[in-house]
Amino acid sequence: MEEEYEILESTVKDFNSKYVDNNSLKLENEAMGKEFVKILADQGFFSMAGQGEDGKGTDVKALSVVLENLAKSAPAVAVKTLMMNSFSAAVKEKEIIDSISNGSKSGTVTFSDLLVGKDQNGSLRMEGGKVKGGKEFVFGSDSNFVITLLDSGELALIKSGFTTGKKHKKLGFRSIGFSSITVDSADFLILSKEGRKVLERMYEELSIPVAAIALGMSEGVSQKALDYAKVRTAFGHYLKDFQPLAFDIASLVAEMDILKRYFHDLLGGTPSDKEALFLKHKALVLAKDISRTSLQIHGGYGYLEDFGIEKFYRDAMALSVLFHNEEKDMEKLAGLVFDSRAGFV
Amino acid sequence: MDFELSDEAKEAIGKAKEFARTHFTEEVAERSDREEQFPTDIVAISKKEKILDFSNPWKVLVTIEELVRRDPGLGISVTISAFGSEIFMLFGNDEQKEKYMNPVFAGQKTLGLGVTEPGGGSDVANIKTEARLDGDTYILNGGKMFISNGQIADYFLVLARTSPPPSSEKKHRGLSVFVVDAKSPGFAVNKLHGKLGVRATNTAELIFNNVRVPKENIVGEEGKGFYYIMTFFNISRIYVAAQGLGIAHGALDRLVEYSKKYGEMSETGELNENLQLAIAEIATRVEAARNLTYKAASYLFKFTPNPIITSMSKYYAADTAVFSTRRAMELMSLHGLTTDLERFFRDAKILDIWEGTTEVEKLIITRMMLKEEGA
Ligand SMILES: Cc1cc2nc3c(=O)[nH]c(=O)nc-3n(C[C@H](O)[C@H](O)[C@H](O)COP(=O)(O)OP(=O)(O)OC[C@H]3O[C@@H](n4cnc5c(N)ncnc54)[C@H](O)[C@@H]3O)c2cc1C
Repeated sequence: MEEEYEILESTVKDFNSKYVDNNSLKLENEAMGKEFVKILADQGFFSMAGQGEDGKGTDVKALSVVLENLAKSAPAVAVKTLMMNSFSAAVKEKEIIDSISNGSKSGTVTFSDLLVGKDQNGSLRMEGGKVKGGKEFVFGSDSNFVITLLDSGELALIKSGFTTGKKHKKLGFRSIGFSSITVDSADFLILSKEGRKVLERMYEELSIPVAAIALGMSEGVSQKALDYAKVRTAFGHYLKDFQPLAFDIASLVAEMDILKRYFHDLLGGTPSDKEALFLKHKALVLAKDISRTSLQIHGGYGYLEDFGIEKFYRDAMALSVLFHNEEKDMEKLAGLVFDSRAGFV
Repeated sequence: MDFELSDEAKEAIGKAKEFARTHFTEEVAERSDREEQFPTDIVAISKKEKILDFSNPWKVLVTIEELVRRDPGLGISVTISAFGSEIFMLFGNDEQKEKYMNPVFAGQKTLGLGVTEPGGGSDVANIKTEARLDGDTYILNGGKMFISNGQIADYFLVLARTSPPPSSEKKHRGLSVFVVDAKSPGFAVNKLHGKLGVRATNTAELIFNNVRVPKENIVGEEGKGFYYIMTFFNISRIYVAAQGLGIAHGALDRLVEYSKKYGEMSETGELNENLQLAIAEIATRVEAARNLTYKAASYLFKFTPNPIITSMSKYYAADTAVFSTRRAMELMSLHGLTTDLERFFRDAKILDIWEGTTEVEKLIITRMMLKEEGA
């Protein structure tokens, strides 16, 4: 890893030990609170958009290093950071970007239009110069700004004039709002006429950052399992001495290590869509597998929140539902692998 | 070989279905889960309506499956009041059966079973809770961990050491089972909060601080407790397998419903094949798990238990529950995340852990198989 990213990694580690490690369950379960969000912002974690090599776009490398390391302790904090950055990257208004960067405002991009079928996510129409209607699944609905598709196919930034509605169940990332929204707003901007295309591109650009979170989670949860297996005994042996547990976790750690190398390789160059999707696909599966095994190693204690394991089990699945859709992602992946449209029958 | 359930069992399924439809509303299930609240009212109604008919174990088995299929947390809460009662049935004396078991079967009292300790659950023989004889009473000291019904049970069956093991290889000797009244002085309970799933069920830590237990509260013979508990697990694991069937079947129900409503059609006008194959795989696993479970049950209910098949059924049904809920979550996208399926996903994981972890079940299977072959 280049030096600047090593420095970034150690900054996040310091941040975790200062603000996150002893607080991670609360940060997962309860709204993060203005003070904590401000501290996150002060680290510069929300302003990685606009820092790409040419000064535009997002510095995916830096963002991914931050996300990976935040996710080791508190996946919800990593996801919040990702949301703020992906929102900023889509906006041009300096005032809004500044308010996100300094943590005084928050924003979200609604990807649910890509994740569920056309008629399942509500409807937003233009009526008399206003955006009206509602959206069903808005992750980050507690934000100040929402970017979402309109029925017309345009991508709109709603700046005010929306209220949150029915709260959805929260399998994971419970500190982040997830609900429907009702919109009646004249305070909006049209970001693009070709909204779906732009949204799809933004979704694709999430592949590596989402994989970074999944990898960070895998590292965090597996480390807990390795530590526990070294101290807990059963039948007169440390858990690590039992083949089923030792082999299972060792095999998953091997997979994780290989993926991490691939991840760092990709960060060192310009990853293709195919490579990014390979990584996302494998990292999400790994996070689910490794959190199940790590929970299992903890036995009954793994089932209780105090040990900080069960949250990874929930978050791994939540991540793979909120930022991934099996059929859509696999169809895309199959197409890239076959070099022509595939996997659609 | 007859794969048909009896008419009585079929009737029990219908009754359970109706009970769950009436009482396990999403509002109640969601609230019990969110607030980690034991559904006292529903459990009381279930007792009044005799939802569990202990005179016929097949009826109990299919009732568990059907209730859990609707909601695991509520289903398990309703069917766990008599947890451990088979120990009385098999090893208790008439007086104990009359005093403790019958009121539990009649729905008047609730039972709990304390085996696991903070230091370990799989290694049962290594428990540290001690019972020392002092005149006509035993004095219990120690603690139990993760005990279902911990805060609500009237009595507990508690495994404790009554004499030192003859050697480190024979730690399973010298353990005994006691009935402990929850009102005993020196007995305390700490509710455990923050479970991943089955949050409607009540789980607690038990503390015994010089708890005096009358000598007549020892169940069966002194020193044979380990054997009693293992015998019990060979019964209860079949009911845990039924919980697994319920959860897996519940996930299948939800996925099938989703696919009818929202499943994407391919260009040939059929449901996407990926989804079709996933449904087939879950349905096949549920059926296989059910066949194993019913086979284990049919051995047991004819009084010829087969511990190998029992452990196979528990491990496989648990794995099927975890697998099915995971696949359904992956395929139903935001619809899984925002409906009760996410609860099923959290609930399922307990089955890999309680009453013998999946690893322990697998070890039992092989060790017993090798032993049989050796014989
Ligand atoms: C919600 C809940 C309710 C419960 N209700 C009850 C109850 O009512 N009564 C009761 O007595 N207990 C109850 N339990 C406890 C449960 O039965 C134990 O958690 C379980 O037996 C595992 O024990 P443990 O948690 O101590 O894990 P450990 O025994 O410490 O095991 C940890 C890990 O090591 C593995 N392991 C252990 N030995 C071996 C080996 N030889 N080879 C390979 N792997 C091994 C296990 O499979 C597991 O993955 C409950 C638990 C929970 C979470």
